[in-house]
Parts: sequence; structure tokens; C-alpha cells
Amino acid sequence: MSNDLQLKIEDFLLKNGKEGKVSELIPLTGGASAETWKFTFSDKKKSEQLILRKGSGKKSPLAVLKSEEAEIQKKVKSSGAPVPEIVAISSDDKDLGDAYLMNLIPGESIARKILRDNKFSEARQKLAFQCGEALAKIHSVDTNDFSQVPKKPIREELERLNLTYKSFNQPLPVFEYAFKWLNQQDFTTRKDALVHGDFRLGNLMIDESGLAAVIDWEMVSIGNPMLDIGWMCINSWRFGQSEKVVGGFGDLEEFLEGYSSISNEEIDNEEVKIWQVLGTLRWGVICLIQVYAHLNGDVNSLEKAAIGRRVSETEIDLVDLLFLGGK
Amino acid sequence: MIFDRPTNAELVEVVSEFLEKEIKINLPDHLAFKTQIAINVLNIVKREQQNEEILSKESKEILLNLFKDPNKANIRELAKQIETGELKLDNKELQEALIEITKKKISVDNPKYSTYKKLIK
Repeated sequence: MSNDLQLKIEDFLLKNGKEGKVSELIPLTGGASAETWKFTFSDKKKSEQLILRKGSGKKSPLAVLKSEEAEIQKKVKSSGAPVPEIVAISSDDKDLGDAYLMNLIPGESIARKILRDNKFSEARQKLAFQCGEALAKIHSVDTNDFSQVPKKPIREELERLNLTYKSFNQPLPVFEYAFKWLNQQDFTTRKDALVHGDFRLGNLMIDESGLAAVIDWEMVSIGNPMLDIGWMCINSWRFGQSEKVVGGFGDLEEFLEGYSSISNEEIDNEEVKIWQVLGTLRWGVICLIQVYAHLNGDVNSLEKAAIGRRVSETEIDLVDLLFLGGK
Repeated sequence: MIFDRPTNAELVEVVSEFLEKEIKINLPDHLAFKTQIAINVLNIVKREQQNEEILSKESKEILLNLFKDPNKANIRELAKQIETGELKLDNKELQEALIEITKKKISVDNPKYSTYKKLIK
């Protein structure tokens, strides 16, 4: 299989004007909807490390196609946000199917290592500011350039989340409360922007000097940019370091300072809280989607079964945010 | 009860310890990680087995206190009345009930969770 893939990649790169050999082709653990491979590409002059991201080719309601993901990254790169360089895009089964090749950005994406290893201690100091800057750059791109990106107005998103939650017929009073509470909030204060949709540790490449690249763009949409801000600040993505509101490594003030160093938009803590509630609820519903994929027999998976009992983590975070002054 | 010891909680515990002490340490990272998930799952089963009766009884009391009607004192009714607006969001008794019931759930699912540890301090 991997030998076959190796030849296919060589053929595809040749078509794109790059003649050379593929070696050290290794699968990396990736998301459920995509395969990720790492390999070395050598031509007459040099060797470089590249990444192959390959989708199933099936259109999913949650994720954009890999070929679209690549086009989006190319355009975002011109905003100055740190994004890997796209080398070639395939959308034909005769090539690599729905896939793309990009430069490997050296660094670490595993949250627990970034939060605990000494070698990232300097990076952690700067990371909240850098994440704020990067998000502001992503949110500053002209949405007219992204006509293929799905539009997800936040009211419709909330409605969709509510229908998904309801479809499992598992009543969760805290979720009902959060939906009701969110319906009373004002979401009209922000202009639509390009929203990454899953901006958090795990989808960020970090090196010793901080943020090296924003990866995994499959949840991208045009919508309310506060979604990315709130998502980065929920306890679910602090990996146990809950006193550090931003990703388990930084303070909200530094994050928002980084954001406002690029953007003219003013954001206050109360508004962030609304989006933390929304983000926590969104993660809770994603947990339900995963566990019911197991319970309904679509996949048989220990991880997916276990995640069902993590829904109560999102419930306790919600009651903390809503009633007990949680941050 | 016609069954002898070990109780089901004791059986689950011994399997969990076996995985932890004899299996996990001999596995490569990604399998050790999966084994840890299996251990966590067994520990949920153990805690639920040990505490289910008292936690369900206490939750029932909270719901009875809120609804004053034994036929309505259940989670489904609580969810429904929040959705329909019969229970208002600013109702302090409702808020208190949500806090207390959620604490009971997480005390079984993951008592090491940061927010739970903070709230029971």
C-alpha cells in the first residue's frame, strides 16, 4: 500500500513540475476524516520534508474537502498568518484523490507536551499574544475571496447544534439551559469573517519560539469571528491547566492584546464569556455525535464510547461559567 | 443478592489494576494511551456501582424539592420545563439544582476534572 502510494506521489509531483524520489513515507495519526502522511522528497539538488493530507472524497457536513482546505490555506497565507505552504493540490482520482501536499513545519502539536515540556517554556510565555495576532490576521481576510467556504451564521449553527442534540433523545437539562440562555444573547455586533473553526492546541504547530503554523482547516467557515476566540478559551482545551484561560498556557488579556495589535475590533471579557458558553456547548454536542456514532453501530470504538462520559465535563464547565463566576 | 464476593466493583477494580500495573507499562505509547482509556472506563463503572444508589436518591430529592410532584421529579421533565420556559432561567432553585446534579454526575464520570475539583474545595 505505502509503496503504491509512494509511486503515486512521485507521479503527481512530476505532473506539478517536481521530478524526484519519495522516501520515508510514514503515516501520522490524523483526524477521523483525513489521512496524514509524512515523507521526504529528494530531487537532484535537495531533500525536503513534505506532508500529504488525503480525504475520503466524501462530502461531510462538518468538514470541507481537502482540495478546498488547501485553496483556503493558500489564500490565508497572503494575510500574513502562519500557515504551511501548499505544494500541490489534487482533486482527481487518477492523481491522489481529494488531497494536497504541503511543507512540513517542524514543531510540536501535542498539547500535553507543549504545556509541560521545558523546551517550550519560552514559547508558552509568548503564545497567547501570538495566537491573538494570528487569529486577527485570519479574521482580516476579505471574505469575498472565499466564495467556496460554507457560510455558518451563528443562529443557524446554534439551531443545528440543538437539532443534533435533540436527535439523540438524551435529555441534558444543562444543555437545554445553555441553548435557551444563548438564544437571548446578541450576536449582531460582529462582521462576518473567515473562521478557522477549530483553533486550539492540537491544531497549532509550536516550536521553541512559539506559534509556527495554524493547521487543520477542515472546520473552516464564514461566520462570527468570536467563535474562534471563545473556542480557544474553553476549559476543554486547557488540558488540566485550567487556571490559564487561553489554551492552558496564557491569560485572556495577552490573547486580546495580541488580537487588537492587528485588528480594530474591541473585545471585552463579558462577550468572551458568551462565546465560552457557546464553545463549551458546541464541544459537548460534538462529544455526543462521537459517542452516538459508536452506540448506533456506525463505528465500534473504545475512545468514542468513553467520550460519552466526558459530556458531564462540559456540563460542569457550563454551570461554572453560567452560575458560579467561572472563567 | 445470590452472588458471592468479589462484588462486581471488586472485580472491576482488580482488572483495572492489572491493566495499570502489568499491561500498560509494557505497551508502546499509542496502545498505552488506549489502555489508559480502558482503565478510566472501568473506574467509571466502579464508582457508579459504588455510588449510584445514594447519588440517584439525592438527585431525586433535589428534583422533588423543585417540582413538589413525584411524577415530575425526573431529568426528562427538568429538561422539558427548561426548554418550554415553564422554569425560568433566573430561577435560583433551578440553577442550584443544575449545579448539584451536575456535580453528582461528574463525581462518577471524572472526579479529577479541574472544574469539579475547584468547586468542591
